[in-house]
Amino acid sequence: MAMIEIQDVSKWYGEFQVLADCSSKVEKGEVVVVCGPSGSGKSTLIKCVNGLEPFQKGEVFVNAVPVRDPKTNLNKLRAHVGMVFQHFELFPHMTVIENLTVGQVKVLGRKKEEAAQKAVSLLDRVGLKTFADKHPAQLSGGQQQRVAIARALAMDPICMLFDEPTSALDPEMIGEVLAVMQDLAKEGMTMMVVTHEMGFARNVAHRVIFMDNGRIVEDTTKQEFFGTPRSERAQLFLSRILSH
Amino acid sequence: MFGQLDLSVIRPSLGFIWTGLLFSANLTLIAMSGGILLGTLLAMARLASLGPLTRIASAYVNLMRSIPLVMVILWFFLVIPLVTGKPLGAERSAIITFTAFEAAYYSEIMRAGIQSVSRGQVSAAQALGMTYWQMMALVVLPQAFRNMLPILLTQTIILFQDTSLVYAIGAKDLLKAAEIAGKNYNRPIEMYLFAAVIYFVLCITLSTLVKRLQKKIAVVR
Repeated sequence: MAMIEIQDVSKWYGEFQVLADCSSKVEKGEVVVVCGPSGSGKSTLIKCVNGLEPFQKGEVFVNAVPVRDPKTNLNKLRAHVGMVFQHFELFPHMTVIENLTVGQVKVLGRKKEEAAQKAVSLLDRVGLKTFADKHPAQLSGGQQQRVAIARALAMDPICMLFDEPTSALDPEMIGEVLAVMQDLAKEGMTMMVVTHEMGFARNVAHRVIFMDNGRIVEDTTKQEFFGTPRSERAQLFLSRILSH
Repeated sequence: MFGQLDLSVIRPSLGFIWTGLLFSANLTLIAMSGGILLGTLLAMARLASLGPLTRIASAYVNLMRSIPLVMVILWFFLVIPLVTGKPLGAERSAIITFTAFEAAYYSEIMRAGIQSVSRGQVSAAQALGMTYWQMMALVVLPQAFRNMLPILLTQTIILFQDTSLVYAIGAKDLLKAAEIAGKNYNRPIEMYLFAAVIYFVLCITLSTLVKRLQKKIAVVR
């Protein structure tokens, strides 16, 4: 079984269907980019993977654990599925290092010293070791997002979900975040990335999923996607996004 | 008219008034701590969809907020002995009533505080695998408290003024002490005036401090 298996997932907000029969999978070590126009359901889909968004039909398996099954301990599952948000969502009342240790200590039950050690080495890895005792508000957006990635990595995730990680950043900060993500991909992390960064998709992704109106319209290798997308909708999307 | 005031009766009554003030302050502090704790739980129950528990919490808050405090004080004082068979004492009765009553008001403040924490923070806590209680204790409530601190303290100042209502059941608070002292010396106007000055000075000082705190918090954010 793949690391992430999405099977016929449908979701409604009242009458309005936001996801319609979405199926796909992400193999271990694979990097899959999810793109599409805004409102197409890509953020909703990625939040279904760790159950942050409930869905009414279908099932998602993460490492063979069914997300929608009421018998599944969602907290336990989420503890090992890293997630990075569009607006970083660092905890503003904690220092950077506390942000990285709180989950390790309270959720995973690690010792404080062990957690702190891990936190420092991860901060070092994202180039922010000297910021350990600062508060998130003292950091730039790009720095905050790198801390957020480190916070997710501190939990030793089996896969990582990125929900538009660069959409809230100033252009000059996007690169530093993408560089961290690229390194992560090189090391073989399983990643599902919702993004508009087509450069990242080209360089790093193995596969591209294109969504429109709550449906997965294309699910192909990146070569095929950037070469000859089959659907008109994806062609239009690409022509708009790549022309400038 | 003020020429007839005899303020010399204040000095010998100071010890007595002090005891009354201590009770008022104690009542305020206990009702504040208990009220915030209970109020936070009520707010959490109201915001979570827990079915009957949510409805009970809502009903409790709405009930308390719809009855004048002095009636709650009186009713509790009169009804509890009928239920338990023995009197509770004015002071203890006052402490319980105030905690229960203020909880309703603090819960509305905490409800706004919890709602002021963004949905994304909740998602981030959940994504780390935190349980509901961990998320509340580590992520949501600390931010809710910080956002609401000035309003919580303002409510506490109002609470301090409201403690004078225990006068109705004869608990010896600041106001009651002033009344008794006034009767002793047959100088009620002087003693009531003195009590009013104490309330005024304490409340205006605390309000000023809260205002300063508010500015400081605004800067941090």
